[in-house]
Amino acid sequence: MDRREILAERPVEKGRGFMPGVSVNPARILFTAGLTGRNPDGALVAGGMAPQTHRAFERLAAVLAHAGAKFDGVVKQLVYVTDIEAYNASGRAERAKFFGSIRPASTGLVVRRLADPAMLVEVELVVDLAGAPAGKPLLEKFNAESHPGDFHQGVIVNGGRLLYLAGQVANNPDGSVAGVGDWRRQAEKVYENIGHLLRAAGATPAGAVKETTWVLSIDAWRQQGAPVRRDFYKGDYPASTLVEIPGLARAEFLVEIEVIAAVA
Amino acid sequence: MPFSTIATPEAKPVANYKMGTRLEGGRLLYVSGQVAWDSSGNIVGKGDVRAQARQTFANLRGVLQAAGGDFGSLMKITTYITRIEDFPTVAAVRGEIFQGELPASTLIVVKSLFHPDFLIEVEGVAAV
Repeated sequence: MDRREILAERPVEKGRGFMPGVSVNPARILFTAGLTGRNPDGALVAGGMAPQTHRAFERLAAVLAHAGAKFDGVVKQLVYVTDIEAYNASGRAERAKFFGSIRPASTGLVVRRLADPAMLVEVELVVDLAGAPAGKPLLEKFNAESHPGDFHQGVIVNGGRLLYLAGQVANNPDGSVAGVGDWRRQAEKVYENIGHLLRAAGATPAGAVKETTWVLSIDAWRQQGAPVRRDFYKGDYPASTLVEIPGLARAEFLVEIEVIAAVA
Repeated sequence: MPFSTIATPEAKPVANYKMGTRLEGGRLLYVSGQVAWDSSGNIVGKGDVRAQARQTFANLRGVLQAAGGDFGSLMKITTYITRIEDFPTVAAVRGEIFQGELPASTLIVVKSLFHPDFLIEVEGVAAV
């Protein structure tokens, strides 16, 4: 671990509990899925924002512990909420219980919907891990608790080269949009493009580490996009996050998917 | 350059950005989502997305430079806006800033950012 805090004294972020930037030597990095306030049986905890935030961080703590990490290794957090007033009123304080004085780089977004319409908060983390990558497999994908979802709760990258793809949309090489109004066709085109790019970088779908799926409708995605995704990963899923938002760069786009992968 | 660019004729970008970048060495820098506030936390350009975009990218550059990098160090940016109609203005500001090709890039319209006055937020991953 070799964490450097960038502009740690800049007053705006300091007052808000995060860091403008954090850099690390990327020897071993953990990417978590977006985790929410679900109980082990899959049901959301009762009571709204505070219990949901607490539970999400409790689960993240378990994922970190599985990888031998604590919150002091967190490089970046991404917090998605559907109700910013509730998060400010009671979510932040729950988060602070886990981070204490630790300040990661951070992005916070208010989105339209998370996996379950009653979900108020979802958090994903990038974490710097101790130890040397030598002798370890390139990727360690794991779950800290059993769950029925098509994702891993954490993926550790040991010494690989990280690959960041632009958000992929259903565009053809000539710039036209594939599958206007057609969720399934757009999903197929997006994963086709992701497949081409992974290959060009020397990676495979199994090398995907983290995926963020931005959709205009979670219900439509689950019906028509999720089967395409299952065919692409063939059970070897990355850590992932699914978010419903009001818009993408062009009105025709129904879905945009970002992938982080790793190659040896 | 501690990262390489991934391109393939089979999957082309819809605008002037890289489709993928691969870290080849150096340090990995995560930059927080930057917004249009000044060093005291006052919002710059309330209601003016062009002014906010310029301030946001200036703040982003400040973090990159403090880490030993600059805009050219960026592997990936994610631009979050709250109104799709602001996208052409944001794209124009990004064009002025990057001159050539943008890093790998994602554009998302969110319901809002963490303060109702913010119209744009940009986060980045860089190799420094």
